[in-house]
Amino acid sequence: MDYTELLEKAIVVSSSVALFCNVIKHIWSSTKMEKEPVKVLVTGAAGQIGYALIPMIARGVMLGPDQPVIIHMLDIEQAAEALHGVEMELIDGAFPLLRGVVATTDVAEACSDVNIAIMLGGIPRTEGMERKAVMSRNVSIYKAQALALEQHAAADCKVLVVANPANTNALILKEFAPSIPEKNITCLTRLDHNRALGQIAEKLQEHVSDVKNVIIWGNHSSTQYPDVNHATVTTSSGEISVRDLIADDKWLNTEFITTVQQRGAAIIKARKHSSALSAASAVCDHIHDWVLGTPEGTWVSMGVCSYGSYGITPGLIYSFPVTCQNGKWSIVQGLKIDEFSRAKMDATANELLEEKSLAYSFLG
Amino acid sequence: MAKQPVRVLVTGAAGQIGYALVPMIARGVMLGPDQPVILHMLDIPPAAEALNGVKMELIDAAFPLLKGVVATTDVVEACTGVGVAVMVGGFPRKEGMERKDVMTKNVSIYKSQASALEKHAAANCKVLVVANPANTNALILKEFAPSIPEKNISCLTRLDHNRALGQISERLKVQVCDVKNAIIWGNHSSSQYPDVNHATVNTPSGEKPVRELVKDDAWLNGEFISTVQQRGAAIIKARKLSSALSAASAACDHIRDWVLGTPEGTWVSMGVYSDGSYNVPAGLIYSFPVTCRNGEWTIVQGLPIDEFSRKKMDATAEELSEEKALAYSCLS
Repeated sequence: MDYTELLEKAIVVSSSVALFCNVIKHIWSSTKMEKEPVKVLVTGAAGQIGYALIPMIARGVMLGPDQPVIIHMLDIEQAAEALHGVEMELIDGAFPLLRGVVATTDVAEACSDVNIAIMLGGIPRTEGMERKAVMSRNVSIYKAQALALEQHAAADCKVLVVANPANTNALILKEFAPSIPEKNITCLTRLDHNRALGQIAEKLQEHVSDVKNVIIWGNHSSTQYPDVNHATVTTSSGEISVRDLIADDKWLNTEFITTVQQRGAAIIKARKHSSALSAASAVCDHIHDWVLGTPEGTWVSMGVCSYGSYGITPGLIYSFPVTCQNGKWSIVQGLKIDEFSRAKMDATANELLEEKSLAYSFLG
Repeated sequence: MAKQPVRVLVTGAAGQIGYALVPMIARGVMLGPDQPVILHMLDIPPAAEALNGVKMELIDAAFPLLKGVVATTDVVEACTGVGVAVMVGGFPRKEGMERKDVMTKNVSIYKSQASALEKHAAANCKVLVVANPANTNALILKEFAPSIPEKNISCLTRLDHNRALGQISERLKVQVCDVKNAIIWGNHSSSQYPDVNHATVNTPSGEKPVRELVKDDAWLNGEFISTVQQRGAAIIKARKLSSALSAASAACDHIRDWVLGTPEGTWVSMGVYSDGSYNVPAGLIYSFPVTCRNGEWTIVQGLPIDEFSRKKMDATAEELSEEKALAYSCLS
């Protein structure tokens, strides 16, 4: 045969061999090599939400069943013994994915190299307490935690603020940790989002996994606006709009909204404790979808830094509909907003502006 | 095709262990990430409002695998069609209470739950008793639900088993997933015997016996044993509450391994009906090393038992025989 034919054959053979080697390497690496552990910080870890959340993280609910984790738990001195008890229980859980536990009252140690920070710790509002008093104490907590995270957390650390007032605590954190990218600081409205899905599912007697694309706009407070105008239900005849299926606009514009807004209080009334189980679960969902991406055609609600979308004042931490991909969230743009919705979205934005003023009044 | 949902009953569901356990079940930790579930939650009337609060939270969590929730104080409704029953409900021992009093209360609870399960649960329902005295509550349940196969009634010693693995991993500074084959023999009480004579650690140079690696028989025969035996009390001291998180997790491990099988070369500890293996009296619910396959457990046979172990295994068996006698005396 001539020289070119030989060359061609040689190229084909060597390419095949190279491909084969790459395939083997890939198979080898995916079966033998384990992912590097991710460090997850939980502040206020000795409390109720922490106790529900931590086993979920250790079981892979937050980051996936093949992602090892190291859990950092922070709480205040008074809770040190209880925190140690949680550490003991984590060891007793013999969790395969758990590669280490740090239980500490030292904020620098807690924040050290963490990739994800879940801020549960804060001053809860107790009976008789003025809003001003709660706000002033939380502002100083979140200022201090911001400094610690900025100094010690891993680059690109993703932060989720849960402790109320969640949006404003997140705002304070953002202001005092300027080297943490703004996009990395969020607050939890996934609980409200999930509650809205649950209410729709119950009303329609459908499985909640068939309901999607509700939106929680605004503040994680009683001014939040649960919006179903773009929500759908997956049925045997395709995706149908929630409004059409429910066929009860009055309910959707009143009782549904107030039920979701006031669900937290309803849980406290029934349990005599606040909603730790569902809050912890929503925390896992928020981080999971942020890190691993939202399913095709589905969005979720996250409290994120506004850049002015939908006419919302830039700089506020405001809950929007978002999709997530490659570890980043993007606001779903172009959704039609009717007059009813506009008024509600503005009302909750105004509350956030007031909270921001109040918070800043304590910073002097 | 999605699998048919399995109905899982949790009794005492409004309590601490229930609150930790139900989200784990709803997330697929107990039966696998592709197994839909319907949760049945039972508690007593004074806890009905709290129980409804838990139901509300389960709805609020929008769990994809959770296909339904039944929250009830009616034991018949609770037991209907269940394929897995986790009995967390019972009468806890309060300060100043005599053992006999606790036993009397629990014996009547487990007698009536036995009847309800027998009549209304699905055929081949798997039962896990957690509430203490776990082994004896399970024995009573077995006695009063004769049509439930004996081998379907178990009690939880997986918590102790996991605690033992945890202690070894801490001592050796290895990952707990590299430690296996500890055994908890006997009663889920302070007479349990945590045995590491056959336990191994997965090292880069292969599986090595724990005794060899720890190189401290005094610790393994002394402090290690009492630490595991008394761990429950240590948790209560630190938290001021008992170990709900780790107990719930162990309950999931127990059921998951029972239903889905134990990994090759690994056994776990389960409180099961003794057939006389290892000279343990037959007719007790006693914790043994077991492997699981096709939804059935089998005691690991033929393990050499040294004198030290023999004594401890006999002591915990004796305690169980005494508990059995006490329980029966409460029935008459």
